[in-house]
Amino acid sequence: MRTTVPPDETAAVCPECGRPLPDDRLRTLHRGIEHFETLAEPEREAFLAAYRDETDEIRLFRLKALGTLILLYFGFLFAYSIFG
Amino acid sequence: MDSRRLRALRRLALLAGALVLSTGVALAHGGSLRGAAPERLAVPTWLFLLTGGGAVGASFLLASVVTERGFVGAVHEWHATLPAPRRALAWGGGLLGLTTLALVVVAGLAGPTEPLRNAAILVVWVGWWAGFTMSAYLVGDAWPALDPWRRLAAVLPTGSGELPARVGSWPSVAALLLLVWIEVVSPVGRDPQLLALGVVGYTLVTLVGVAVVGDDWFDRVDPLARVFRTYGRVAPVQRTDDGLRLCVPGAALTSPVLDGWDEVAFVVALLWGTTFDGFVTTPTWADAAAPLVTAGVPPHLLYALVLLAGFGLFLGVFRLAVRVSRRTAPTYLAERELAERFALSLVPIAAGYHLAHYLGYFLALSPALASTLAAPLAPPTPTVLAVPGWVGALPIAFVLGGHLLAIWVAHSIAYAALPGRLQAVRSQYSLTLVMVFYTMTSLWVVTRPDLTPPYL
Repeated sequence: MRTTVPPDETAAVCPECGRPLPDDRLRTLHRGIEHFETLAEPEREAFLAAYRDETDEIRLFRLKALGTLILLYFGFLFAYSIFG
Repeated sequence: MDSRRLRALRRLALLAGALVLSTGVALAHGGSLRGAAPERLAVPTWLFLLTGGGAVGASFLLASVVTERGFVGAVHEWHATLPAPRRALAWGGGLLGLTTLALVVVAGLAGPTEPLRNAAILVVWVGWWAGFTMSAYLVGDAWPALDPWRRLAAVLPTGSGELPARVGSWPSVAALLLLVWIEVVSPVGRDPQLLALGVVGYTLVTLVGVAVVGDDWFDRVDPLARVFRTYGRVAPVQRTDDGLRLCVPGAALTSPVLDGWDEVAFVVALLWGTTFDGFVTTPTWADAAAPLVTAGVPPHLLYALVLLAGFGLFLGVFRLAVRVSRRTAPTYLAERELAERFALSLVPIAAGYHLAHYLGYFLALSPALASTLAAPLAPPTPTVLAVPGWVGALPIAFVLGGHLLAIWVAHSIAYAALPGRLQAVRSQYSLTLVMVFYTMTSLWVVTRPDLTPPYL
């Protein structure tokens, strides 16, 4: 994979494959997904914790997505009742 | 970091601007032309286009709710191996390809000049460019088995020369745009003799090309093999080293197979080519071209300039979206790496648009094709199939269907490339906006009345 890191930023580098990632959390997730077999027990736990944290964030994102969908739906409903 | 974020926001705003611009154009022409449109709309054009764009946006939101990595991966990994008599297929395909090539040349030169009774015109445009291309993305890419030029080249001397590495596959991008231009500006669509001469010319150029640069020709110059290979990636049947493989449509688009901006540009050229083909038949184009042609711009040159400018615009918009995507995700994957991966998600859009453009045409003219094939040099009066009215509504469904598949493919590509699930969703914001822009553009084109491209 080709990567480029902006000169003014420090990357979190994966010790297994050398891929630079924007932060520690993404590196933890990357290591868990790509190199789970080679990780030691504490690292696996760190990955699972990061994955669970992300799941909480996703729950919030889903609510926002649902809200946007509802807005979109009613927006179109109004538009059609006026212009249709 | 803040200035970078500002820059990213500004780019997003630019993209949104492009979007508004496209609806603005539809608005300006919606009112006056709606009465003339063959597909009459019950709602204002802008509302119709917004609905199409909204459907794509909504499907992005729905796809982004699917965050189960295992599920996304499983959908694309599912496959079954199909038995394939490879030798028989290669022989049969080669024979069919070569016979068809000979038939097109003979019927084009010696057959009747009436296009709907001429086997060359019907085979090339109805059978091959409409029908065979559909089979490439709906079933699988059979071109490697059929390609008559590869067969001819195999028995003739092959050159040991090489194309310089730095030109990459750009020659195939240029050749594709050139073919689109020729198809639009010249009467190859209705003049059988010209079509036959064109096919002979293509054959000669190919054979000389292979004699000079060898197999590089088919890999990096010949646009046809690449067109079908690209479309074939949408299809459920894929060729592998151990035979045929059945998979979920679009699944083959999720493995990163493109290499370099040249190959990315080819996919964009394919998408833009199908759009341009439809765009030049709109009254908007006729209105816009009129003052320029009056002012003395040669029409052929004007078509070429607009073809190139539109290609530049589509490529530029895609590149901008990739750049924004790197920031919003965020990711350190190189711009080129992301472009190579995400460009493949544009292929279903091109396929949907091709299907929208050609299915009705293919169905209506397939009886003429069949009767002409039965007696190529003395064909009966052509029969045109009366296509039922509801087929007229299908193009809109195909354009939307192509985009929905594109959204799902892009979602899967993002999941494969990025470790964070929300990071993957965020990487899609700008690309979804670009897809909305492409959807609205193509919906606008398919709902315009079809004119003959003017000044040619």
